[in-house]
Amino acid sequence: MAKFLGINRLAKLFQIIRESGGLKQTYLKLYRNDDLKIGTLVGIDKYGNKYFENPYYFYGRNRWIEFAPHVNMDYDGSQIPADWYGWMHYKTDLPPIRDGSRPKYKWLADHSENLSGTKEAYMPYSTTPPKVEAWDPKAKK
Amino acid sequence: MIRAPLVKALGALSSPTHQIQIGSRAVRTTAVIAQQAPAKAPEKIEVFVDDIPVQVLPGTTVLQAAAQIGVEIPRFCYHERLAVAGNCRMCLVEVEKSPKPVAACAMPVMKGWRIKTNSDLTRKAREGVMEFLLMNHPLDCPICDQGGECDLQDQAMAFGSDRSRFTDINYTGKRAVEDKDIGPLVKTIMTRCIHCTRCVRFASEIAGVDDLGTTGRGNDMQIGTYVEKLFLTELSGNVIDLCPVGALTNKPYSFVARPWEIRKVSSIDVLDAVGSNIVVSTRTNEVLRILPRENEDVNEEWLADKSRFACDGLKRQRLVAPMVRMPNGELQAVEWEGALIAVAKALKKANGQVAGVSGQLADVESLVALKDLVNRLEGETLVTEQGFIKGAGSDVRANYLLNSTIAGLEEADAVLLVGTNPRYEAPLVNTRLRKAYVHNELQIASIGPKIDLSYQHENLGADASLIKDVCSGTHAFSKVLEGAKKPAIIIGADLLERPDGAAIHATILDYCQKLKKKDWNPFNVLQNNAAQVGALDVGYQAGVEAVIKAQPKVLFLLNADAGKLTREQLPKDCFIVYIGSHGDNGASIADAVLPGAAYTEKQAIYVNTEGRPQQTLTAVSPPGMAREDWKILRAISEVVSTPLPYDTLDELRSRLEDLGPHLTRLGELEPASLSEAGSQATISKSINGGPIDVKQKELRDYFMTDAVSRASPTMAKCISAVNKQQRQNEQAKQSVAI
Repeated sequence: MAKFLGINRLAKLFQIIRESGGLKQTYLKLYRNDDLKIGTLVGIDKYGNKYFENPYYFYGRNRWIEFAPHVNMDYDGSQIPADWYGWMHYKTDLPPIRDGSRPKYKWLADHSENLSGTKEAYMPYSTTPPKVEAWDPKAKK
Repeated sequence: MIRAPLVKALGALSSPTHQIQIGSRAVRTTAVIAQQAPAKAPEKIEVFVDDIPVQVLPGTTVLQAAAQIGVEIPRFCYHERLAVAGNCRMCLVEVEKSPKPVAACAMPVMKGWRIKTNSDLTRKAREGVMEFLLMNHPLDCPICDQGGECDLQDQAMAFGSDRSRFTDINYTGKRAVEDKDIGPLVKTIMTRCIHCTRCVRFASEIAGVDDLGTTGRGNDMQIGTYVEKLFLTELSGNVIDLCPVGALTNKPYSFVARPWEIRKVSSIDVLDAVGSNIVVSTRTNEVLRILPRENEDVNEEWLADKSRFACDGLKRQRLVAPMVRMPNGELQAVEWEGALIAVAKALKKANGQVAGVSGQLADVESLVALKDLVNRLEGETLVTEQGFIKGAGSDVRANYLLNSTIAGLEEADAVLLVGTNPRYEAPLVNTRLRKAYVHNELQIASIGPKIDLSYQHENLGADASLIKDVCSGTHAFSKVLEGAKKPAIIIGADLLERPDGAAIHATILDYCQKLKKKDWNPFNVLQNNAAQVGALDVGYQAGVEAVIKAQPKVLFLLNADAGKLTREQLPKDCFIVYIGSHGDNGASIADAVLPGAAYTEKQAIYVNTEGRPQQTLTAVSPPGMAREDWKILRAISEVVSTPLPYDTLDELRSRLEDLGPHLTRLGELEPASLSEAGSQATISKSINGGPIDVKQKELRDYFMTDAVSRASPTMAKCISAVNKQQRQNEQAKQSVAI
């Protein structure tokens, strides 16, 4: 009966609000992620991103990430480091913190996000000479 | 197919510029028939070309007779301006009752001959010749620079067989010949050569250097320089145009473009005072190459190497943005607005102490705009960088023109060169002199240093007092000049810069009054830059001395790059404004640099050394923020609130017409009569002796003479090639001596 009236969903909402830490926090979370979910915190990577899992949601939506608070709204998928990538994309069920068999070489490069659209974006330079070479008054013959 | 030669042979059927000549010729012929020819013209004979009767003079060749009625006979070795060689055999035609086909280019017609230019025998002969030519011609049209403008390609399509019998089943290969290095301008792919010997004939007949020749015979024949040597003349580029196949191609242009990709714009060359007619080939707003355009009165169909190959200088050292000198002494690129305001501020402060200097590449429009601007600002001093005689010598047009005209020099029979080297100052005037020397028994003497003019001439010595001797009639060469039907004296423009230049000018002018004939003016000044005549025509004074004397507060340099004016000669607070296309001597001393357009980038009038105004057309747009020079001057006048009364080129041209009506009659020569050219009686005619020198003595002096050619990497390569050749020659001499 309660299920039929949807009261259990209302209970879930209250649970989410409680776990998020109040109405304001819930609103902010919804604003940032466009979604409200609860689940178990699987781990936190070294950049501060939090990874959650809840098998209550169907496959494909049952693992998610809450990006580190300091990036604000400027989050994007490429901020997920390589070691968590596999877990996020269901390549493995073992998150890196529980998988001891992963090699950790010291020469592994730090993860970097996609820099397109920023100042650091890669810009190939033209190798063709200009059609007209301008006079440089400083160059002495 | 055979495009240019046929047009030439037909006289003018397809070219509107020659219409007048046709008319006059027709009139003359009818007059001869009507009056029964009192001068006893040789009787014409009648021949039949494809059953059409043609009246021709005796001695006309079959090919010329056919051309008279518009029948083109294919040819490779034949060229109108070269001697007949008759070795390609492509022009074989059938003549009735002749057992064998005859070579049309070399065979004079006989009375009543019936020539068949399209019979089975003729076609078979052509096919056979073509088959032999193609048998040893490489099949590399796809990678050949001549592809698309190749006579062999065209004629193989038109007259060749439709299938090949060449089956190289044993892979023995075709004939192959090693390529020769004949310099930085002409690339050789000798395997493609079909032995027409046009290049050999050009070198020995027109250029006057017997560097090229043939060795071996039959299948082993080769064109070459005998010993390893560069083909270095000031006319070497013309062999590229003459070569009917891709054996001699343009080295800087190699693998650059195909003829069907490029746009062609008819224009005028301004790198010497001849005003050669050119075709500028461009693609994607870039000048790729320059070819000569035919003009019988100016350059025939030749072009000097500097004019042809210095076009890569148009892409280097360019001014692309206005610049203003900052307080720290460095030129900094600014927007047009800032530059114009800086110039206007200086002009306001100058209070009428404004002057202008024009250089080698200034066009008449911008000269007039600068003159009007400076006059409106109450300045008076307007000079050209190139000097001329002091005083009022430039008031009379005949005083500074090549009055005998370029084409007229062909008919001269005695020429005296005074302080000039036409070979390098105006190579295409020199070819006329050489032509007269070869065909007209022209006697040439020179006063000046000993130079190689590519033909024999008598060097009278370098002392200036010789001028007086010749002009007083005591010298031996005076007799030659006085006895000649069409004598001419050519004075170099640089000579008249001397302190006694006016005396030399007056002495020779007086003598020329004595020498002159009806319709023949023997007095010639050979200018050495394209802007000079135009500047003197619109009322500029010659020589920068007037500017140094005036000590202006603002000085305009219009394309003035010769470096005759230095910062030290001007007052410290003088504000120099440079308007021009290249960063060179002028821009480096300027306080404000305003980028102008080069000659391929504007529609502008230039007057050549014989006084013929011709216009360049816009082939590409000026680079970056550069603008046409007269528009810059118009903009300055607006900012200083004395706007010039013309907004468009047409309005400016009508202003030109007010100054000199001849300036806008493009392509037409306004003869200046010698009687006007009164020598000034006040001038003392004392010539101070002292040796006469010319600036361009050797080929290496020829290549870099102006801002465009100084910026050209090809010209730099030419100079190093000449130097290398000379070192090798010296080494060879030394080893012989040892």
